Amino acid sequence: MASLSSRDDGETLAEIEERHAADHQSFLAHRAFFWAKMAVFIALFVIVTYLLIDVEPRHNGGSWYGYALGTLGAGLIVWLSWLGIRKRRPTPGSWSLKGWTSAHVYLGLSLTVIGTMHTGFQLGWNVHTLAWVLMMLVIISGVYGIAVYAALPQRLSENRREMTREQMIESLAAIDKQLKSAAQPLSREDTDMVVAALEQDVLGTGVVARFRGPDRHDATRSALDHISTSRAYDDDASDLAQQRVRSLLGKRAGQIDQIRRQMRTKALLEIWLYFHVPLTIALLAALIAHVVSVFYYW
Amino acid sequence: MTFLIRTVDHTATGREIVRDREVEGSTLTIGRATTNDVVIADLAVEQHHVSAEVDERGRIALEAGSTRDFTFDGRKTTSVRFDPAKGGRLTLGLSTLAFAREPDGRTLVTVTQEEREFGNRDAVRRFDLASAMPSKRAAAWISVLAILIAFVAVPIWTNLARTDKQPGADGIDQVAWDASWSTGRLSLAHHALENNCEACHVAPFVSVRDDTCLACHQDIGDHAAQNRLAAARGPMSTGDALLWQVADVFGKEGPEACTTCHTEHEGAGRMEPAAQQFCSSCHESMDARLADTALGNAHDFGTDHPQLQALVHVELGSEDLTRVTLDGEAREDHGLRFPHAMHLSSTNGVARMAGNLPDYGEKLVCADCHRPTDDRNGFLPVAMESDCESCHSLVYDKVGTTYRTLRHGDVAQMRADLIAMDRAPRSPITRGLRRPGEFKRGGRYFQDFGRPTQNYIGIVRALSEGGVCGECHIPTGAGGEASVMPVFQRNHYFLNARFDHAPHAQEDCTSCHAADTSDSARDLLLPTLTTCRECHQGAAAREADVPSTCAMCHSYHPPSFRRREEGPQSVAPARVAGLARSGMGSE
Repeated sequence: MASLSSRDDGETLAEIEERHAADHQSFLAHRAFFWAKMAVFIALFVIVTYLLIDVEPRHNGGSWYGYALGTLGAGLIVWLSWLGIRKRRPTPGSWSLKGWTSAHVYLGLSLTVIGTMHTGFQLGWNVHTLAWVLMMLVIISGVYGIAVYAALPQRLSENRREMTREQMIESLAAIDKQLKSAAQPLSREDTDMVVAALEQDVLGTGVVARFRGPDRHDATRSALDHISTSRAYDDDASDLAQQRVRSLLGKRAGQIDQIRRQMRTKALLEIWLYFHVPLTIALLAALIAHVVSVFYYW
Repeated sequence: MTFLIRTVDHTATGREIVRDREVEGSTLTIGRATTNDVVIADLAVEQHHVSAEVDERGRIALEAGSTRDFTFDGRKTTSVRFDPAKGGRLTLGLSTLAFAREPDGRTLVTVTQEEREFGNRDAVRRFDLASAMPSKRAAAWISVLAILIAFVAVPIWTNLARTDKQPGADGIDQVAWDASWSTGRLSLAHHALENNCEACHVAPFVSVRDDTCLACHQDIGDHAAQNRLAAARGPMSTGDALLWQVADVFGKEGPEACTTCHTEHEGAGRMEPAAQQFCSSCHESMDARLADTALGNAHDFGTDHPQLQALVHVELGSEDLTRVTLDGEAREDHGLRFPHAMHLSSTNGVARMAGNLPDYGEKLVCADCHRPTDDRNGFLPVAMESDCESCHSLVYDKVGTTYRTLRHGDVAQMRADLIAMDRAPRSPITRGLRRPGEFKRGGRYFQDFGRPTQNYIGIVRALSEGGVCGECHIPTGAGGEASVMPVFQRNHYFLNARFDHAPHAQEDCTSCHAADTSDSARDLLLPTLTTCRECHQGAAAREADVPSTCAMCHSYHPPSFRRREEGPQSVAPARVAGLARSGMGSE
């Protein structure tokens, strides 16, 4: 048993190294950009054949070439949609989920060429163009998704500054607790401002507010402005309390900004799926409508 | 008086901590300030919010310390008096102060505080966009249902449920919402069918049938018999055969179907004529497969097209038409003498005469004699009366100030008119005698009783080579009597093609018709293929002035009702080109 494991260790060191490298390799670069090359080849092949094949009177989804591209495109759309189910079953190998995702991304991009050439650039206000538009929107949202996945996680971790989300919330709660006791000696008017700040629901904001991000003039900043505006801070008890509240409000605003930045980055990172997924399902329906209508009125 | 203050707090695990303390005196102050008897650390509470005072009867009066009110037993107020024995609840912010009377006479005030949670673990989830967005699943289902209902269910249901399923160009749109199925606008010719999809798409999942097209297009003739078409086409290429096999599986009618060539929904405009390759695929080397064809091979007008042939009268006086090749040497014999060059000269007597007549210019031009048809497509036959007679006068007599003219086109009438002409000089029947008065020569009642010898001489002279008739016509004695050969004018020459003058209007006549150098009326002044090719080249010849497909001159479908053995009228191309064809003119 020992010899077996030691032999394994010796033999597979390079392999382990390689596997680790592969583990950290992006799905975009999977198998040395195999699917990227495949997609470029498919796109170029379609463009060249589109230019070479003479369809009279002009290119049309209803020519033999149009039907061929349409069949290919419809098959691709169904297969690409399958990722939504496939992703729940991670498996290793060349059909690993990473490989599958890599193919999904690149073949999805090549679909812009296949689908558009299938239309023969004959677009109009009809169910056929609806399918094409939905397809393009799905692809565009997917491209956005890849772009933010490449750029935003970095920003997300920079903003966290080693804090977990729980810690951010707890930090805010701690500040609030201090603020509550620190504000006790304050006048009615000041207290109202602090109460308004404390009652603010930082996390329960709507979609639009999430994208607006930090540095907004909210109740905390209003309180901060109010308490700091043209006040002389003396050493008496009242003024000391105000100073303390002011510094706590400052901390609170900073913490809210961090939370909001986190929420905005997360929103930017997650929003595409709210388009990509429902639009894909809508596209499948439009594809059915497209194919049925074409053959129904053949 | 003693107040018993009972504070109830909760630990983090939820366990209650109850603390009791006593406050001596009849007044209890409640507020945020630490100097109060009951301190409520709630920012919603005033520094000195309420004071409670027990009167001599044991009742408690609650008074607000400022204008800010408080809630007592669920009602907002600034002042209230109550009996603690019956209980009472004062609410300030999150704290509740319940008043009661202890058996020993002390007033019990129980202070409880509502817990507010911050930073629980559920809050972490609220970082995610999902907490603010509508569900993906709902959006997907709604769009799927909307699309399938609007674009599948409604059109199919209304298509299947309509009562009268006869195809027809008229009537309202029976199938609802099927406009969304249209892949593009129909051609202008089919514009009326735009919203009537079911007129052509008769049965579900069945491609448009020829029968449907022919229901309206009844006059379309066959290009050739089916067996000859098949022979001319030859075997299909492997690729084409495969494609047609696939098409057959899907129920397409086949290569001869109308829709094979005539695709629709390509956008408003004219339906595009078939491409050159469509014709040339058979006609390029058709003689090899169809040995008995009279047609020459052709696949491109610019590079491979037989010499043009014209249908003309080659035998003088004969009605028969013969096709002659327009090789520049072609001759016809329509029965007229008409040297074009002489008439178009700018220096000879013709030009002088034209210059002297008010309706002509310095010399004759083509348009002086050749008048176009109303549609500018061709020319009317030349008529003696309107086109020749202002020079070639048929005047034979003058009476007073007016002239008597022979009637053109009727030799017997001419003969009769000349015989009856009573003013030709005649030999007097008597000599030396003169009639008197108004009966004498030149008088009003003069009558010449001499022999009309000159009249007959005039007839013979007119019908002779140099005579007034023979000037243009060819005299003949056939039939025993002097006459002229009949004349046959044609206004169209092509058997299998059409020509339209209107698009050529900007050209000079002589750029195609070499009339200015033709000394003989027998010259067939039609252009040769070479002349046409100066502008017209094949469809692919982009550098040519006019890249020309076969369909510019030829029609695939001869209209069945006009096609005859001699086939003078090939009007079909006119239909293809969308131009009206003149029915005017005669042989």
